[in-house]
Amino acid sequence: MRVRINGEDLLLVCQITVAALIAQRKIRPETVVVEHNGAILARDKWEAAVLKENDTVEIISFMGGG
Amino acid sequence: MEDQLIIAGQAIESRFFLGTGKFASYPLMREAIVVSRAHIVTVALRRVDTQDRRDNILEYIPKECIIMANTSGARNADEAIRIARIARAAGCGNWIKIEVIPDNKYLLPDNAQTIRATEVLAKEGFIVMPYVNPDLADARRLSDAGAATIMPLGAPIGTNKGVCMRELIKILVQEINLPIVVDAGLGRPSHAAEAMELGASAVLVNTAVATAQDPALTAQAFSLAVRAGRIAYRAGVAAPKDNAEPSSPLTGFLR
Repeated sequence: MRVRINGEDLLLVCQITVAALIAQRKIRPETVVVEHNGAILARDKWEAAVLKENDTVEIISFMGGG
Repeated sequence: MEDQLIIAGQAIESRFFLGTGKFASYPLMREAIVVSRAHIVTVALRRVDTQDRRDNILEYIPKECIIMANTSGARNADEAIRIARIARAAGCGNWIKIEVIPDNKYLLPDNAQTIRATEVLAKEGFIVMPYVNPDLADARRLSDAGAATIMPLGAPIGTNKGVCMRELIKILVQEINLPIVVDAGLGRPSHAAEAMELGASAVLVNTAVATAQDPALTAQAFSLAVRAGRIAYRAGVAAPKDNAEPSSPLTGFLR
């Protein structure tokens, strides 16, 4: 199954939730916002959000800027 | 004498706003915020880089600060709106600096797209601070669209050239009934003082502080210059003249 995470194509061998994806990447959940297929996905929905073929996920956080 | 800056009904404790980009480290950034007593600080949003193990920047920003996300990276109104909504979802509050930049060479903003994004976001309850080319008609449109301030550029971002747009900014100060915050291009404390002497309500500085040898000391110098410039504006400093005028009496006891 092909998905697009932060602009990179990824082949997944098994089903995965957004929560698991975040955990796998060792990202602290409270520091990021997730967009799933272009819509903001509230943190309490991550556990139920299973990635499907051709889904896009953006994982976004704050950094320095002027 | 009371001289409180109010933006969207909120008292802002410093007329020196600080950007958080380009600092060598987050502790250095924090020190610059603390020393300058900046109350409004800007941050940006980016894709998470899992290789980058830097801490969360928000933990280094003092709790009393207002964190204002910018929409840098947006090339049109829709992208700016999307970034603003993400920033709010991230728990960053309602303050948003709209920055729509389609041009990578000069990093000049697109006023028309910025106005469109301001209309949408102000209706959604954001406190919108648009970064724009200083144009009077556009500033009026932004004001009508619900902007909380107007943020004209002094010079292109990161150029340290000072208040190149001086005459146009002066017109905004005179004609627009919103705080004018000079953003971008200020390279030295004297530039900040100049902007404030013109009647700007505040300035936003980033590159000049973050890339200085001693960012905290530079931030402090900017902060003092902003205060001095503000006081000079309120004091109504005397206008320049073409002909000399003696400041000592030329009473002619020599001849």
